[in-house]
Amino acid sequence: MKISTIVLPFLFLCLTSAAEAQSMFRGNAAHTGVYPGAGPREFHRVKWKFPTGARVVGSPVIQDKIIYFGSDDGSIYAVDAESGRQIWKTTTRGPVPCTPAVDHGTVYVGSYDGKFYALDAQSGAVKWKFATEGERRFEAKGVHGMQPKNQTIADPFDVFLSSPAVVDGAVYFGSGDGNLYSLDANSGDLRWKFKTGDVVHASPAVVNGVAYVGSWDSYFYAVDVKNGKEKWRFHAGEDALLHNQVGFQSSPAVVDGVVYTGCRDAQLYALDAATGKQKWKFDNALSWVITSPAVADGKVYFATSDSSLYHVVEAATSKPVLKEEDEAYMFSSPAVTNDVVFIGVLNGTLEARDRNSGKLLWEYQIETSKRNANWILTADRRFNVPLIFFDTWREGPLVSVDRQFAIGAIFSSPLVANSTVYFGSTDGFVYALE
Amino acid sequence: MRIAFILLVAAACISRADENAAGRWEGTLQIPGRPLTVIVDLAAEMSGDGWQGSIIIPGLGIGGAPLSDIALNGGDIVFSIKTALADKQTGPAKFNAHFAGDGKLAGDFQQAGNTAPFTLEKTGPPQIETPPHSTAITKEIEGEWKGEYQLYGYPRKITLKLKNGGPEGATAEFVIVGRKENKLPVDRVMQQGQFVTVDSHETGVTFEGRARKDEIEGTVLQGPLEIPVTLHRSN
Repeated sequence: MKISTIVLPFLFLCLTSAAEAQSMFRGNAAHTGVYPGAGPREFHRVKWKFPTGARVVGSPVIQDKIIYFGSDDGSIYAVDAESGRQIWKTTTRGPVPCTPAVDHGTVYVGSYDGKFYALDAQSGAVKWKFATEGERRFEAKGVHGMQPKNQTIADPFDVFLSSPAVVDGAVYFGSGDGNLYSLDANSGDLRWKFKTGDVVHASPAVVNGVAYVGSWDSYFYAVDVKNGKEKWRFHAGEDALLHNQVGFQSSPAVVDGVVYTGCRDAQLYALDAATGKQKWKFDNALSWVITSPAVADGKVYFATSDSSLYHVVEAATSKPVLKEEDEAYMFSSPAVTNDVVFIGVLNGTLEARDRNSGKLLWEYQIETSKRNANWILTADRRFNVPLIFFDTWREGPLVSVDRQFAIGAIFSSPLVANSTVYFGSTDGFVYALE
Repeated sequence: MRIAFILLVAAACISRADENAAGRWEGTLQIPGRPLTVIVDLAAEMSGDGWQGSIIIPGLGIGGAPLSDIALNGGDIVFSIKTALADKQTGPAKFNAHFAGDGKLAGDFQQAGNTAPFTLEKTGPPQIETPPHSTAITKEIEGEWKGEYQLYGYPRKITLKLKNGGPEGATAEFVIVGRKENKLPVDRVMQQGQFVTVDSHETGVTFEGRARKDEIEGTVLQGPLEIPVTLHRSN
């Protein structure tokens, strides 16, 4: 009796803090994508939805019952998780399509204005900011077949900025200037920067003194967090023809000494975390793997873009466990809970799938998607590609992609806390479903 | 007696209109080929004298812009936006609407001479976005600061006079001298720790900097331009 009196409250406190400790991209610095507790197996209601001034591409995080997220309207928001009411917002000078990290009362986040911000979690006041060498999108001549083929064009599918990880008083993030940065979390002073060959918009995972991140130069890097020195690098696919099958946009998960990451060369890779040696790769037949894999109980959960497939494979071998066909591309990363997996789809639908069978339990289609302006979707909610991409010349494809995303696309990776699913959409809202 | 009765009825109608107006209103502006989701928050001023409000239009990057010239007249309401969707040529965008009595607010949206209908539905209590106000500043940064920078090869001299202004927060005089002297109207001065921000929204010019001993290491921001400048305390 005495033991239970002592242990039970302690256990409760541990569980409570575990449920709340989802304060950075993919839940933790290893990016496992696993959210303790249960998510709703049935859809009951929209608990609240919160409007911002523009698209919400990044993901929300939670700390002490406050939801933090960025919007392309340039602001970082703090919103009460229960009521959906705004607590504060702080405005930067550029879109914020990434996920903040919250640590010891400070919110860390980057902006397209080329600055990285540390904000007071209670008030939103700027504690410090750090100027990178400037943001930009991945770009290439005639990228994806856009014409004229000799013209350098920014990649409209480079939608995210790198989301920070905070570990042991240091913050780590990538930048469009090609660097992986490490700053002192308290002062914002530069600890080191590590130069890669192109844009770094994937988000670093930090485990056992090593930062892992891929770059658009198609190398995946392991960097010693003490000094910023390279430990190893892994070379993925190249595409000199269209620059389509190249580069890391997916962020890694690091579990039990293995790094799992998707790549735009259409592979999901498993690399030895100590050496960078490839353990296996899973081929997705020219379909990008933008999602960041989730890893739980010996299984890897991920999804693809063009082929629109939801996969679960064995972490040790890549042997398929299950595969489900979806209606549209997925850039959102799966959130794994006790028995439900949540993922966003670019057609404006949030899906809940049974963790074991992969079968759809429920889905929520947002209103913008239902309205289907410009017939971006087919009647069965696939992308209406012939109508969207009818022009490959000059600004044509860029305008098309912009229209495609305006359908209420869910790039945001769901956050699951207290039996509620939180995510953002390009309709400008953050949703809380239960 | 009859006059008193009429006055009572009128007062009841006005108070019902007030109750009707306060809230969060959501709907769509039916701009041809570009329907836009719009969220309007309206509430009575704390003083009880007049109305305050803000607007969110996700499709246009407008997140909590303040409403101006809000006027409620029986079942009608008008308001405008001055800080977005407006320039010298177009003037402010305006909303003219009528409370339809079924929990809806319907009317016309006017911008640049164009008119589009809209219908809004009340979805909850108001969540008005109040723009950040000037804050007080520390004694260390009060006073006059001067610096110089180059713009397209031409020198610019900047003078910033910062002082505390009582309950309204700090005020500033912000002067940039190039070929001529430009006295910029300042509408906000903020200090957060070492960071100082001086905004002139009317001209689109902002100075922001970090105060360290006898200098403020900062940037003059105007649109996409970011020009580094260090201000020194003038003697």
